[in-house]
Amino acid sequence: MEEGDKRYQLELNDIIHRYNGRTVLTVEHLPIERGKVYALVGPNGAGKTTLLHIMSLILRPDRGEVVFEGERIGYDESKRTHARRSMTMILQNPYLFRTTVKANIEYGLKARGMGRREREWRVGEALEHVGLSGFASRKAHELSGGEAQLVALARGLALSPSVLFLDEITANLDVKHVSQLEEVIKRINLERGTTIVMTTHMLNQAYRLADQVFSLFDGRIVSSTMYNLFKGEFRHDGEETLFDTGKIQIYFTAHAQGREKGHVSINPKDIIISKEPLNSSARNSFLGKITRIIEQNEVVHLGVYVGEEFRVQITTRSFHEMGLTLGSKVFLVFKASSVHLL
Amino acid sequence: MDYIIEGVVRALELIFSLDKEIYGIVGRSVRFALTATLFATLAGVPVGFLIASKNFRGKPGVIVILNTLMALPTVVIGLLGYAFFSRSAPLGFLELIFAPGAVILGEFFLSLPVITNLTLSAVQAVDPRVYLTARTLGAGRLTVAWTVLMEARFALLAAIIAGFGRAVSEVGSAMMLGGNIRHYTRTMTTAIALEVSKGEFGFGLALGLFLLLVAFSINILFHYFQVKGR
Repeated sequence: MEEGDKRYQLELNDIIHRYNGRTVLTVEHLPIERGKVYALVGPNGAGKTTLLHIMSLILRPDRGEVVFEGERIGYDESKRTHARRSMTMILQNPYLFRTTVKANIEYGLKARGMGRREREWRVGEALEHVGLSGFASRKAHELSGGEAQLVALARGLALSPSVLFLDEITANLDVKHVSQLEEVIKRINLERGTTIVMTTHMLNQAYRLADQVFSLFDGRIVSSTMYNLFKGEFRHDGEETLFDTGKIQIYFTAHAQGREKGHVSINPKDIIISKEPLNSSARNSFLGKITRIIEQNEVVHLGVYVGEEFRVQITTRSFHEMGLTLGSKVFLVFKASSVHLL
Repeated sequence: MDYIIEGVVRALELIFSLDKEIYGIVGRSVRFALTATLFATLAGVPVGFLIASKNFRGKPGVIVILNTLMALPTVVIGLLGYAFFSRSAPLGFLELIFAPGAVILGEFFLSLPVITNLTLSAVQAVDPRVYLTARTLGAGRLTVAWTVLMEARFALLAAIIAGFGRAVSEVGSAMMLGGNIRHYTRTMTTAIALEVSKGEFGFGLALGLFLLLVAFSINILFHYFQVKGR
């Protein structure tokens, strides 16, 4: 048995995965610590699900290694199945087998050779955990979308996995079921110490639930947040380079030599908001209107439309001092060096 | 017209008098067809599953051949069977010709492509998330395969019933390989052919009614499982 770094529960090293001859994922190093919550964010096609499938040992990467519990997991299928039994994954559109809720939850327990009594106890406990006690004898295919997602979660929880992978599990749910699921996720992590790795499109959700957020773009882990992500063309204006989204032009300092099109992102924390024009060294200044206000834990997230929709983050105190309301006209100011090229 | 009415009356007499000859033939036919279907299921379901779930070179060709074999004339099976199992043939030492084993073998080869092909279609129609879900829940390869088959169970039952229907209704290979020997290899279809040629229309009709009953039951079951599987 070859051993990896024991500090981490799960570790990915030098992963490369191709699909139809195209490299869709390149991850140099991704360490996952025991008992923490991680979120993978990024636009569609960024490689989130592929990465999740490689981490959960469903997919074998073309190159690189996955280390789980200090042991390098190779290509031997029985070894992979054995390691997979310490983890599970809940899908965005979960598939419930055409049988009862109870039989669905028992499935993974039977695969682990668990006895009937233990199975029944676990089914009851898992259903209680997701607030669906009394659903055991219901037919799985007669459940609503939200109930089905909760049963899928109960099916995963019954296995008491040490790592739980969640693939966009709140994507198609109503607000009520989203908050119910988020509560369950937090409780599993706190009470059981389960490591959770989730993909999500909802950046707020990622930053709210996760200890660490990994941003994925074009199959690579990037340092920028996925807020204020814009697509556009690079234009040269004398010595400076501009990024043209088609609606606004953004100055930036990053090196984009030889590239005609691409993406940039700006961290909401790097943007200054002002009611008056600022006389500063910052190269980017736009006048816009507040379109959204979300207050959360001493921080206010503002949506500001300046031709493109920007996300800005300020403290609750600043928000109240400035007397901002929906529709207020504000200036957005940020440095050219705050613009990250992806 | 009288001829037909007399035949129907005679057929009903034979059926309701629980004629041993008639019921013996019906029982033998069903037994042969069930045995052939059982073996065709054991072979056809795994093969159909493998073809459906694996990607390999020549897969479209294999599917075309399977489709063609579904419509294979029964006399061709009889002919091939005779070529291999008659006394002087390469496999003649097995002494299968004109014995129940030969009839069952012929029916096996007729229902095998039906079961294989319909299994293939059933497995291909299974939601791809079944494989992924089973694996994320820690199932090994065999359990994953079993789960996929269970999810396609209604379509699979329909496939097996269709295979049985093909076996029980065939006449060509049973006649050529079984020889239509009374109390031994005579089945409903071979008996009908013989009795009608002898002028025993009522006897033939009685067996025909039984065959119709079997076909009707098969179709009801087939329809039931197809509807349930949707």
